[in-house]
Amino acid sequence: MNCIETRALISAAVDDELSFLEEKQFLLHLSECNECTVEFDDAQRTKLIIRERVVRFKAPQTLINSIMQLTSFSTKEMF
Amino acid sequence: MDNPDPAHQKKSLQTNESLSAGEHKKQIEFQNEAVVHLNALYNYALHITMNPDDAKDLVQETYLKAYRFFNSFERGTNCKAWLFKILKNNYINLFRKNSKEPGKVDYDLIKDFYHSIKDARNDTSETDSDFFHSLLHEEVYQALLSLPEEFREVIQLCDIEGFTYEEIANMVDSPIGTVRSRLYRGRKLLRAQLEGYARKYGFATDTDQ
Ligand SMILES: [Zn+2]
Repeated sequence: MNCIETRALISAAVDDELSFLEEKQFLLHLSECNECTVEFDDAQRTKLIIRERVVRFKAPQTLINSIMQLTSFSTKEMF
Repeated sequence: MDNPDPAHQKKSLQTNESLSAGEHKKQIEFQNEAVVHLNALYNYALHITMNPDDAKDLVQETYLKAYRFFNSFERGTNCKAWLFKILKNNYINLFRKNSKEPGKVDYDLIKDFYHSIKDARNDTSETDSDFFHSLLHEEVYQALLSLPEEFREVIQLCDIEGFTYEEIANMVDSPIGTVRSRLYRGRKLLRAQLEGYARKYGFATDTDQ
């Protein structure tokens, strides 16, 4: 596996989505190639930082209420 | 799955006059399986519409449709993935096919939301001392927003929501290979953005060394 082929697999490697064979070849290349290893580490850290640092919004209360209503209407509420 | 008329859906839902035991069971199950993903859906909707009002409408439509077709949901499969797929379809129907203009990107509102939750958030594990940990939540968010939609979407679905490639491919209607390469390119773009912020703080990055 060469550098170009390896780079194409980086995101899948980060996400643990490589096939058994791909992973074997991928790791073999990393063991011999510094540049691809750096790329791989970078991609891993980027994923980590997004997961840790991205802003998560809470759904507004009006939305929560209307969804709850949707699934808990009783006959009383309908008439 | 294709019923684009929300008014009709609402009506048919509410004309179930007597609430049978079966219906009651469905509601409980729906709450446990589907409603628990409300925040995740709202965040996804916010990312694709970039507008809080549109996001709200979209999530509402999604739950209406999901409830209506809940019996067709394959029990034991990933309900969150099913809901995301419905939301994406709704988005395409509402904003693309009917050529309804999406609301204008409302950065100010989004910023308000951000400030309202800012204090409620605590930083998680500080295991790594690299420059990334100097970044603010807002900066990471801005960097994500700056990406083209096709990259932003797969990054959110994968990194934030934790879906598998197969699930993502199904949601965005693209082959797994496309998901792979979008993630790779998107992360590279994002990395470049984040390094820009890091330099601002005087941190050396790998590429400087
Ligand atoms: Zn290489």
